[in-house]
Amino acid sequence: MNPDFLDAHERHWEDAELLKDGNRLANADHLFGISAECGLKCLMIQFGMPMDTDKPKDRQDRIHVNKIWIRFEAYRSGHLQGINYALSLPDPFMDWDVNQRYARRDDFDISRLASHRAGAEAVLNLIKKAKLAGLL
Amino acid sequence: MSTFDEILPMLTKIFQPFQEDVTKMKAILVNRDLNGRVRLIVDEKWENNEHQQVVLDNIARQIHEGIGFHAYPAAQAVLFEPDIDDFLKRESCFLLEGISDVFVIDRLAVEGNWSRISRLTSSVSRTVFFSIKGGVGRSTALAATAWALAEQGKKVLVLDLDLESPGLSSALLPEDRRPFYGITDWLVEDLVNNGAVVFENMVATSALSHNGEILVVPAHGANPGEYIAKLGRVWMPRLDTEGKRESWSDRLRRLLDDLEGRWQPDVTLIDSRAGIDEVASACITELSASTILLFAIDGDQTWSGYRVLFQHWRKTGVVRDIRERLQIVGAMIPEIGTEEYVEGLLERAWDLFSEELYDEVPAGKVSGDESVWSYDQFDGSAPHYPWVVKWHRSFAVLKSIHGRLKDIDNEMVRAIFGPLIDGMALSIETDGGTK
Repeated sequence: MNPDFLDAHERHWEDAELLKDGNRLANADHLFGISAECGLKCLMIQFGMPMDTDKPKDRQDRIHVNKIWIRFEAYRSGHLQGINYALSLPDPFMDWDVNQRYARRDDFDISRLASHRAGAEAVLNLIKKAKLAGLL
Repeated sequence: MSTFDEILPMLTKIFQPFQEDVTKMKAILVNRDLNGRVRLIVDEKWENNEHQQVVLDNIARQIHEGIGFHAYPAAQAVLFEPDIDDFLKRESCFLLEGISDVFVIDRLAVEGNWSRISRLTSSVSRTVFFSIKGGVGRSTALAATAWALAEQGKKVLVLDLDLESPGLSSALLPEDRRPFYGITDWLVEDLVNNGAVVFENMVATSALSHNGEILVVPAHGANPGEYIAKLGRVWMPRLDTEGKRESWSDRLRRLLDDLEGRWQPDVTLIDSRAGIDEVASACITELSASTILLFAIDGDQTWSGYRVLFQHWRKTGVVRDIRERLQIVGAMIPEIGTEEYVEGLLERAWDLFSEELYDEVPAGKVSGDESVWSYDQFDGSAPHYPWVVKWHRSFAVLKSIHGRLKDIDNEMVRAIFGPLIDGMALSIETDGGTK
């Protein structure tokens, strides 16, 4: 299967919301992070990130959300349209890690989830804006 | 297959039979994106309404069939917004002709859309010198006007915003008086919060004035430096630390406000880039200019260019906000056959204004009636009635203007630029910046 970052961003957001509403905080937290990663990669492609068929061409771009915030900024600032897509928050995913999927559920609390959800929502709003502009 | 210009007429045709449903859902927005493809934006409360869903599907399908490559497939053609009224307030849009409650939002690759008309908020009278075509003596006329107003004792601030072809400052300042920086430097430094460094060193006083003062803000400083690299960045919007966006034209207006605050001129004259251009859009619509001089030579290029602009203002519903600021200037009036030429110019200007800008005079009223904005063809105070500037060999080359103005007598300037200077003096007196 080839990646479809836009669809992946949307489905992970939707599932994360379902899990949050069902009080499944640990997996909701994981999916908010994946959703934000996919949304940002989707925009990075528009801002010039080179792709192979199934993954970003450059090894530095094969990263998760805890490292992508700054990478996104690099692509954004080099693109004419990029000025309209500044992230509205400082990086909220610095304490997120893909390996936390192996952690205990008790380690995830509501304030941690809220900050990651806000980050994913900021990306969701950028995606919405890109659709209106016709970039996506 | 249909092309761009057929999009809106086709949408009007498609929406007409659905007017009742559209009014129920109001408002519906037509989003025409950067690629010229159309999607609808609808309030999300209708997303799960079976009847309205059928209506929207039907409209989306017809749009896809009607405008082909300019549409999205029906399944992707509708986007939903949580609060459509709030969304509408934040966007610059206009009504789709012939349909109530359907608005068009145009996404452009450039910032200037020619239809954000800023209100007249400045306390200083601002006049923009614009021409649809270059090389008609616009900058020369501005230099002469600045000189004449200064001779009348006015303090005149002059901005050279013909950034892509600067030259005005050389007409008013000899090389050794030019300031260190120009507008381009400020626009670039402002992006990194460094505007204050250039602000005090971007204005120079012309030695041409005896009674008043001419303060000149050039496009670039004495040394242009890396001008092309700077010019390519002046259009950038600026983001503050909280992510709030300020467009380049808003930055320019902030600069103008600050310059007027600092130097306290009686009048500000702005030399705009010619043509339907990004800088011209900002100068004409976004700098709160109370007078916009439209330089015209009698030719198809002039009239069709102005017609494009006027029709755009009508279509986007802003014509009433801007039309009273306009004034035609007849440029480069020839020495031979003068009267005949001016008559032709007046006739063409009248045709244009009466067809595109003036209100129709209803039966029982006259054109001078206060509720009707219209003028007679031969009314000398009408905005279509050209303020004439004669062609004269000694003023034909901008480069020589400094030399000319240094030695020239008032009589000579009046003979060439008289109606423009008188018109400007009157407009400054009557509007005082808040026309």
